Amino acid sequence: MYKIAKHLAWLSLWRRKSRSIMVILMIALSLSGLLAIQGLYDGMITHMINTTIRSDSGEISLYTKEYRLHKSLAYKLSPVSKIEEKLSKIKEIISHSVRLQQEGLIATAHKSLGANIKGISLEKERDFGNFDTFITQGDYSFGKHKKEALIGATLAKKLHLDIGSRVVFTAQDADAEINAISFRISGIFKTGNPALDEYTVFVSMEKISTFLNLKESATQIALRIQNTEQIKQVQKKLQTMLPELEILRWDELYPLLIQMQEMMQIFNLASYMIVFIVAALGIFGVMLVSVLERLREFSIMLAIGTPYKMVRNQILLEATFLGLIGFMVGALLGWIILLYMSTWGVDLRSFEAGLETFGLNAILIADIQYYYFVQAFFAVFFATLLSVIWPLRILKKIKAIQVIQGKML
Amino acid sequence: MKLNHITKTFYPDSPKEVKALTDINLTFNKGEFTTLSGESGSGKTTLLNIIGGLDSATSGQIFLDDEEISAYSEKKMAKLRLQEIGFIFQAYNLIHVLTVRENIGFIMKLLKFEDKEIESRILELASILQIENILEKLPGEISGGQQQRVAVARAVASRPKLILADEPTANLDSKNSERLMDMLRTLNEKEHVTVIFASHDKYVLEQSKRIIVLDDGVVIEDR
Repeated sequence: MYKIAKHLAWLSLWRRKSRSIMVILMIALSLSGLLAIQGLYDGMITHMINTTIRSDSGEISLYTKEYRLHKSLAYKLSPVSKIEEKLSKIKEIISHSVRLQQEGLIATAHKSLGANIKGISLEKERDFGNFDTFITQGDYSFGKHKKEALIGATLAKKLHLDIGSRVVFTAQDADAEINAISFRISGIFKTGNPALDEYTVFVSMEKISTFLNLKESATQIALRIQNTEQIKQVQKKLQTMLPELEILRWDELYPLLIQMQEMMQIFNLASYMIVFIVAALGIFGVMLVSVLERLREFSIMLAIGTPYKMVRNQILLEATFLGLIGFMVGALLGWIILLYMSTWGVDLRSFEAGLETFGLNAILIADIQYYYFVQAFFAVFFATLLSVIWPLRILKKIKAIQVIQGKML
Repeated sequence: MKLNHITKTFYPDSPKEVKALTDINLTFNKGEFTTLSGESGSGKTTLLNIIGGLDSATSGQIFLDDEEISAYSEKKMAKLRLQEIGFIFQAYNLIHVLTVRENIGFIMKLLKFEDKEIESRILELASILQIENILEKLPGEISGGQQQRVAVARAVASRPKLILADEPTANLDSKNSERLMDMLRTLNEKEHVTVIFASHDKYVLEQSKRIIVLDDGVVIEDR
C-alpha cells in the first residue's frame, strides 16, 4: 500500500508543475541563503578565534596568578627553563611561545602613544602560529643586530610609521628604573586582534630581557595543543603540575569571542526560523490548495474502500517530496556558494574600516560544516510535517459521500 | 443482503429535520440486477449509500451473509467496501493522475493481487468493455462514456459480491447509456455479481430484473 501511496504522491506532485517548482525554488533559495549566512557567520568567528589563538593566547596560556591584574614585572614567570622542562613532559603540547611584555610609551619625533612592548622569538612564533603570515609590509625579522621591531598596523598608522622609521620605547624596568630603547621598524603586522594591532610592538626576547633587566623570565607562556578536545584535560594536568600558576584557556582569556559565537548562534537560529516558516508556509499553501481541489478524488478513493491511512500517507509523501527536493536543490546550491566563499571569500573591502574594529578581515572566509546540512534537513523535514497537519485534518473531517454528491466542497 | 427497519433522518431533533427513509425492509439475493427507482428526493440514493456503508442509518440493521454490517466501525466498513463492494458514481470518479490501466487495477493493487493476475483481469475487462485502445491514456484524455466504462471495470475488477451504481447513466447520452447497461448486464450474467442501481433512467429500469420504487422514503412497489 505504501508503494501505491508513493506512486500517487509522486504523480500528484507534478500535476501542477509550475506550482510545485515555485515552492521547490522558494525552499531551495531560502535554504541556500541560510547555509551561506551560517557558513559566513561561523567563518567570521572561526577566523577571529584562530587568529587570536595563533597570535596571542594559544589554546592555553600560563601566567603568574597576580600578573593579569597588576601587569607588573614583579609577577613574572621565572625561571622559564624549569617551566619549559615541565611542559616538555606533556605530549599533547605541540609547541609553546615564551613572551615578555611591558607597558610603556612609544614615541616618534612627532608623536607618542601608550603601547606594549613584547619580547618574542621569531622562530618560535612562526612554529607556534605562523606569525610571519600576519606581516603586511616589510620583513619578518629583527635585523642582524636585533635592533629592529615589528609593529601593529593600526599603531603604525596612528604614529605615521613606515618601514625603516625609528621609534623610541620608554618603560620601567624590573628595578623600577625608567629606561628607553630605540628600534627601527622592520615589519608591520595585522592579526585582526585589536590588542596586538593597536597597541603592540614585537622585539627580540634577548633585547627586551636586557632592556628590562631580567633573565630567564617571561610574563606569558602560550601553548598549542594537538587536539582541541584535549584542551580541558591538558589544563587540568597543568593545574596539578604547576599549582602556583594561572592556567587559562583561550575562551577564558577572550570571553568576548565566546559571547560573539553565542550571538552568531542566535542569528543562525533566527535564520533557521525564517527558513522553517518559509518552507512550512510554502508547502502548507500548496498542500492545502492541492487537497482542497482534489477533495472529490480523495472522497472517491475513500468511498471505494481505500484506507484513510493510505490517503494520509499519499499527502504526507507528496509534501515530503516537495520538501526533500527543495532541500536537495537548496543544499546543493548552498554547498556551491559555501565552497566558493570558503575558497575565495567574500570581498568586503569597502567596509574594511568597520570590520577592523571587530577584528575581522575585509575578505571574509566562510566555514563549511556537515552539520549545517543536517540541521537544514531537519528544519525542512519538520516544516513539511507541520504543513500537512491542517490539510489532513480537513480530509479526516469530510464525509466522503457528501463531497461526491457535491454537498460539501 | 438483508435490510431490517432502516430509517434515516437528517438533522434529527432540529427544525430542519428531514425523514429520508422510513422503515425499509428489503432482501437482495446473489446475482440480482435491481434498480432503486423513484422521483428526486425519494430516498433512493440515500438507501444506496446506506447499503454501501457510505452513510449510516439512524436506526435499523443491515446484514450481509448473516453478519450485521451496520454496527461496523468506519475502518472495518472501509475494508468491507474494498473487499466486497464495487462502486460506480455519476461521473468524474477516476483518479486523474493514474492511467486507465492503473485505475482499473487500483482496487486489485490495494487488495494485493498478484501483478500477473491484475494484468490479465485488466485485459479481460478492457476487452469486454471495449477500452483496450485507451489503457495507457489518462482520464482527462478520454470521453465521459469511456470514463464510465473504466469506472465499471474498476468496480468489478476485484470480483466484489455487490456493485452499487448511483445514476451511472446520468451524464451519458442514450447510446453510451445503452452500451454501459449492456455491459453491466453481461458482467452480471457472466460473473454473477449482484448489481443495485439508484436511477430513474427509463433504459436502466427496462434492463432491471427487479425494480424497487421509493416515494418519500417509503418502499411503495417491489416487482
